[in-house]
Order: sequence, then structure tokens, then C-alpha cells
Amino acid sequence: MAHDAKREDYQRLSLRYALELDKSGATDAARAFAAFGRRFAQNRDSLPQSDADRAFHLVALATEVIDYRLPFASDTQAEALIRRGRDLLDEAVSLDPSCWDALRMLAATRSASVDERYGYLVEQEDNVRAACEAERDRSLEELGLERGALGASIAMRPYWRWLASMAEDALICGRNRASIDAAERLLASDPSDLSDVRFTLAYALAKLEDEKGLNELASRYESISPLRPADDAWILLARCAVAHSLCNYPAARAMLVRLLESYPGGAALLVRQGELPDGEFARLRVPPYSEDELVLAVSEGIVLLQEGNDRSGRGVFGHWVANTVSELDPEAAKEAARMAKDKGASTS
Amino acid sequence: MRAWDELIWRCASRRREKIGPLSDQAFEELLLAVREDFEAFVDHDEDRAGLIVARALDAYRESCRDDDLLDDETFEKHRTARLAALHGECVRAQELCENSLDARLLAVLSEDPAPDQLLESLLGLERSFSGDTPPAGDAWDDVLYRPHLRLRAAVARTCLDTAHVRMAASAALSVMDASPTDPLGARNTYLLACARLEDEPAFDAALARFSHQESAWSHLARVLLLYKLGRMNAARRALHGYDELCRGGAYALLRPTYVEIYLPERPEVAPCSLEECALAVREAEPIIADAPDFIGWCQGFDWLVESAGRFAEKNDLDW
Repeated sequence: MAHDAKREDYQRLSLRYALELDKSGATDAARAFAAFGRRFAQNRDSLPQSDADRAFHLVALATEVIDYRLPFASDTQAEALIRRGRDLLDEAVSLDPSCWDALRMLAATRSASVDERYGYLVEQEDNVRAACEAERDRSLEELGLERGALGASIAMRPYWRWLASMAEDALICGRNRASIDAAERLLASDPSDLSDVRFTLAYALAKLEDEKGLNELASRYESISPLRPADDAWILLARCAVAHSLCNYPAARAMLVRLLESYPGGAALLVRQGELPDGEFARLRVPPYSEDELVLAVSEGIVLLQEGNDRSGRGVFGHWVANTVSELDPEAAKEAARMAKDKGASTS
Repeated sequence: MRAWDELIWRCASRRREKIGPLSDQAFEELLLAVREDFEAFVDHDEDRAGLIVARALDAYRESCRDDDLLDDETFEKHRTARLAALHGECVRAQELCENSLDARLLAVLSEDPAPDQLLESLLGLERSFSGDTPPAGDAWDDVLYRPHLRLRAAVARTCLDTAHVRMAASAALSVMDASPTDPLGARNTYLLACARLEDEPAFDAALARFSHQESAWSHLARVLLLYKLGRMNAARRALHGYDELCRGGAYALLRPTYVEIYLPERPEVAPCSLEECALAVREAEPIIADAPDFIGWCQGFDWLVESAGRFAEKNDLDW
């Protein structure tokens, strides 16, 4: 799944449009709706919308800039993109002071440390939940049963993303129980896990070397994500890390083999263990089991890979993963070296 | 490690076993006799190996004396040479007696391998000596069993250093169970592991078990534990406690210094002294690094930074 700002922007306006159609008693709803797509793409301002909808549109634009363009920009472009992203978010907040997504994303750029932003998220959580729940109740009342479910989901999403950010920030700060707590609250609020917070939860459990908790999480997958079994890079890397922490090397190795089966061609990424900035709106949208997904999982997995004293500078588990993958796939080590060299050449 | 004392005890105990029961007073006299002329009493290869180790440790400690006067490069050269000398002697002792666990443990440690390799070697040693069963009562009282406790304590510390935290906790706990007086201070490793695992009940239980006796480790572990649990006011008070009750604690935390590897135990230092804080900070280093904003949070308290600065000035330390 994962959050999709553009799609959510579309969904918000289509719901609003449908509501307006109902009110106006339009007889030719099908035709009117056909016009919606065209107007959304070409003449957005002509559609009925609230300030909150307009603000969210700016968030969607900012997401495109910050999460999807900035990571690939040159240093000279980066500055302009950061400024543009911030301007869009500032404008979003001026339109809608409770545009939680914009506030959350701005907090990331304004905080001196992850810890500071985490503190802000914790402080505001109750407000965000109360506001989103009130909006959800309003939506359900206004939209009725059929559309209400989508309306309620859209109303709650800023809170879900808030909790997902809290879980991720807590994990980065070394507050693993708080990360688990935030993730579990999110799963309780959104049992079908639009945010894929179970991935973050898997890492937090691995940080506490909680083998039992990880096994339980894997068995909960069936109800959380019936279409996606517990073979994503996060849960496999988490289980690998726990086996490694218990010095159960055969089991850890078997998990790496499974990981490589789930992500064929991912060996070099596991040797290289690159880090990239987290998505500010939400975890980046990438196809399941793609190399890009493995890149995200490895980057978020730095908290597991880089822990402990290790002379290679990779961290104890990271060093072991790189060595073991190189043994399993000798070509991967060479490819990783090539990738590192290319990166070095492009940044120098 | 008081190698000579233990060696004399071991040697006298073996002699007592041979000649039959002795009164306490007679045993005291035997100890004195062994101390006077050790070589006359040595008739066991393990003690001959122990003699080599004790002399090698003396030589090693002697060579550390003037370290403070050396520049980095010369220090590194001296260090490599004295570790190599110690290693050579321990290997010689080991060749004389394969069963000398102290010699084998020191041979591994003095090679100063990478932490993950060290752990593998230590676990290998444990497997080789797994047949020796611990004595009843406090295992520390049996001088022949002490090397096993030292090895287990080293395993616990190395596990913590290499992010095998549950293993660190269980190894430390097993040392505490085998020797409830815990002269090796395995509880310190255990407290740090509890902090890393954010396990407050286990932390409190361990402190209660030792009558809430505090140390640089307990103070520091408490700060880390509460910080990680997000109890920031309590964490701030704990940091204040660490600063107040550990002499030079703030300085040790904000200006971590090089700490030599333990051969094979932690050096004996005064409780809550600067030296003890330096050891605690070194052992906690992987946990501190795992909470990347922790030091920044500490530095945000002016009273802590000022305390460290005052300590540095008073003691003529770099700041």
C-alpha cells in the first residue's frame, strides 16, 4: 500500500464533488462525473473545495518536490527545491492552520535534530488525533455509509502519517519501546495498515532482540495485509538481525537467502548498504519486491546494520551481512564496489 | 586480576589436597611458605603456566607506567610491542598447559582482535571448557574456578560491545548467579544491557539485588534507560545525579578518553571516580552511539557542561 499524496488529493476533491452533486440534485450524475476528471486535471480551481482541500493540494505538490525530486537533484538545484517545498508547506499552513501533514513536514526541516522533531510529534499527538477523529465523525455523518468509509479514511490519514513518523523517528532516536507503542496505536487505528508501519515495527522489535514479538508480528500479517505475506525486506532483515544477535548464524544466513529470493538482484544493495533520506510525507511509494523497495528497507535498516563496535566502520551486523552476501553471491561484492565507485565519481 | 595471590592460593590448595586436612592456621602458614618460595612448591603444569602469566602481567603493567608522557605514535608502538610480548608469554604458558584457562583467555585478549572475532574466540574457549562444572556456593571462593567467571564476564562485555545485547545480559546474569558477591562487577554489564533493551523492571531488580549500591555504570545506565523510555524529566534528574555523585562524570561523558582493553578484568578503580566513569562511558559507547541525539541532549544542560569544565580546570585536563 503506502500513502499517495496525488491520489489522496484526487480522492478528496472527488468526494467533495460527489457531495455537491447530491445537494444540487443533478440528474445526469454520470456525465457530471465524467467532467470531473477533466476539470481536476485542467481547471482544478473551478471545482468545489475547502481551504483544507487547497492546503492538501499544496502538500501533494510539496511531496513531489521534497520526496521525489530532491533526492535526485544536483546541489545547485537542491537549494531551490528545498525553498520551493518549504514555501508550499508554509502556504498550506496559512490556508489551513490544522494542515497536520504540512506542520509535520515543516517540523522536519525546522528541527535541529530528529529527537527535537520527535518531541514535537509527541507533544501534538493528542491534538492531531482529536482533530482527525472529529473530522472523521463529520465525514461519516455528511457522506453516509457508502462514501463515508473513504471519507473517514481520508480524515484519519494525517493522524496515521503522524503516528508513522513518530514510530520511525523514535526508532532512529533509539527509543524502541516508544516506536513499538506508536506503531501498535497506528495498527489499532488502521488495521489494514495503509502506512506499512508494520515494517517499522519489525525493526523496533529487532532492536529489542524480541524474537517472540517478531514471530507474532509475522503471524499477524494475514489479517493486516492478506495480499502481502511476511516476506518483505523489513521483516526478513529484522528476523535475520535477531538471529544474528543471538549468534544463530545458520538461521541468520537462511534469512538472508530468503531475502535474496524475495529480491532477486538485490545482493549488491545488501553489500553496499546505502542510506537515503526518509520520505517526509510518508515512506516513498515503490513497487513491492522491487530493488527500490530493498533500497528503502536497507536505508531504514541502518539502525540495525550499524550498531556495535566494528573496525570496518559498518557496524557488526552490517559487516556480517556484507560478508555473507558476498559469499552467497561473489558477483555482488564486485557490483557493490562498482556502484560505490560510480557514486564517488558523480559526487566528486 | 591478582595473579600472584591466586597462584599462591591455587598452589597451596593443591598441596593441602595432597597432604590431607589442615587447620585454618596451618593453611595460613602453608600460604606464607608458598609465598616465600613459590618455585619450591610448584609441581603442577597449570601453576607453572600461571607463573609465566603472572610474570608476563607484571611486565605488561610495568611497561604501561610512562604512557602519559608519550606522543600518539610512540604510544601506539609501545602498546603493540607490550601486547605482543604478553601474547607470546601467554601462548608459551598455554603450550605448557592446555588447561590453563587464564593463559588461554589472556592469549586471546592480548591479540586485540576485532570485536566480532574476539567474541567468536571467547565463545570457542567457553565451548572447550564447558565440561567444568561450577562449584556449590559462591563460585568465586573456589580459586580454581575463577578463570571461568572471568571468561564469562569477558563474554558478557564483548557481547555488549558487539550488539548481542540479550546474550550480554544472560552471560552477565549467569556470572551474578554463580557468584552472588559479584567481585567481577558483571552487574555493571547487566545494567547497561537493561538500559539498551529499555527493560526497567530488570534494571530495578538488579539494583535491588545488590542493595541499591550505585556505581558509575548504574548512574549512567539509568540516564540512558530513562532517556530511551522518553521519561525526560526523570532522565534529566538521573543525569543530575550522575553529575553530582560521580566525580568527573560529566567530563568523562562529554570528553570520552581512550580506555585500554581489559586484561582480563576491569582495572580496580575507586567507586564513582573519574576512572570508573571513563570505564563506564567506554562500555556504554555502543549504546550511546545507538541513541544519536543523546549526547546533544546532555550538552543542552549548561550545568553539566559547566561542571565538566570546572572539573577539567581543577584537574588540569584538556577542555
